[in-house]
Amino acid sequence: MLLEARNIEKKFGKVKAVDGISFNIKEGEVLGFLGPNGAGKTTTIHMLLGLVTPDDGEVFVFGKNLRDYSEEILQKMNFTSPYVGLPYRLSVRENLMVFAGLYNVQNPSRKIQELLKLFEIEHLKNTPVVKLSAGESSRLGLCKAFLNDPSLLLLDEPTASLDPHMSRQSREILMKAHKKSGMSILWTSHNMAEIEKVCDRVIFLNHGKIIAEGSPIEITNAILKEERKEPDLEEVFSRVANEVKVS
Amino acid sequence: MRAHRIKAVIRRHLYEARRNFDRISEIFYWPVIDIIIWGFLTIYLAREENLGLTFVSFLLGATILWGTFFVFQRDLALGFLDELWARNLLNLFSTPLKISEYLTGLIAVNFIKMIFGFLAASLFSLLFYSFNIFPYIIQFLPFFFNLIFFAFSIGLIITALIVRYTTKIQMLAWSFSGLLQPVSCVFYPLRTLPKFLQAIAWYLPTTHAFEGMRQIISGGGFSSQNFWWGIYLNIIYLILAVLFFGYIFKIAKDKGLLVKLD
Repeated sequence: MLLEARNIEKKFGKVKAVDGISFNIKEGEVLGFLGPNGAGKTTTIHMLLGLVTPDDGEVFVFGKNLRDYSEEILQKMNFTSPYVGLPYRLSVRENLMVFAGLYNVQNPSRKIQELLKLFEIEHLKNTPVVKLSAGESSRLGLCKAFLNDPSLLLLDEPTASLDPHMSRQSREILMKAHKKSGMSILWTSHNMAEIEKVCDRVIFLNHGKIIAEGSPIEITNAILKEERKEPDLEEVFSRVANEVKVS
Repeated sequence: MRAHRIKAVIRRHLYEARRNFDRISEIFYWPVIDIIIWGFLTIYLAREENLGLTFVSFLLGATILWGTFFVFQRDLALGFLDELWARNLLNLFSTPLKISEYLTGLIAVNFIKMIFGFLAASLFSLLFYSFNIFPYIIQFLPFFFNLIFFAFSIGLIITALIVRYTTKIQMLAWSFSGLLQPVSCVFYPLRTLPKFLQAIAWYLPTTHAFEGMRQIISGGGFSSQNFWWGIYLNIIYLILAVLFFGYIFKIAKDKGLLVKLD
């Protein structure tokens, strides 16, 4: 098992953001993390990165406890989210050079060049981040996420600000890299079709609890309580979101 | 601590200094402005009030040293604020970077900036007011060290407060040293203060640094008493600042403040 979260819990004031959830990610697996806003997805990701300390429970990555081996674990992990910024006055290349240094990437200039080419932002390498469009920033985030050839990649809505063409392209690049390197990915998204396409397994969160877990088709059948032939996570999502509204 | 990560933090802030005109101008702006103001005042006092050269040297020497203290303390907090304004904290601390490595990198960058600020102010006072601080440098070094030491502790406490209370209190980065200045006896001797303020001033390493500096300029030689008092106090303040920062950083992770700051 590449990652194992055991009974992790997080409370902010009186609100239980994550309510004792346990799950794992297998080697080479793409795990989808779904749920309405406030379901606990992002808090869980932050706990997996050691940015937020769980009130209870433990996280094991690469067989080691994150609390005790965070330095070693984070060296082999990476993360991106379009909602997180990078120093905006620095150019694309400068930003990547800084993160390459933090991950001790050997021959950083070559690696950066490769990634800029892969994500098709080579022409922007000397452009300050402040001048990038949302889509270009997202692709820069993905370049940053691939710098250290991570074994585990946490993607928090990686295609949220991309147009359909770029979103598809980025997804294809991600899946190509995934197949090539065998990295495991935890992928959150509000694009249900995307999750159906890329994820081997899906965890559905609501009110900080896991309400369903399985392949997209298993989740569809479990939550809609029907026997469908094709997954329909969008309907599943609407159903859960409506229940949230009612409650 | 890993050198490559410290180097990456240095690189990040040097890039920022190169790209951000504010960071460049701040290195020189206040130290030079202070020298201009205090320089004219010393000219006036020397001419109209017949105050001697020693007095002029006190004021300009103090201005230069206070400038370096202020720049170092402010820029430590500003370095962290730069990450916060860029919403970069999550990216930074989701790498193997440790907070001790981050701070070490920041100290190194601030040291470079402070040297430039010091040189600018010193050259300015030499060229326009004929005050040459360089012959005193060797004797000033221990007091200079004490000032930087204290500036680091203050910068650390302000950074911790920003982690805890976010940008609501970011003004402290610029204003906190102003609170210390009146009781640090920068431009006047300790005995000038009322008795109750003397008691407070005695517990500030800055007071001992400026008392020591004045003794050197007036030809009284190196004051080991002021130096050692400065060191002892600095050790206590540094321990308190590190404990406070560690405590706040732990709270920040428990309460998810790092994430909310972003």
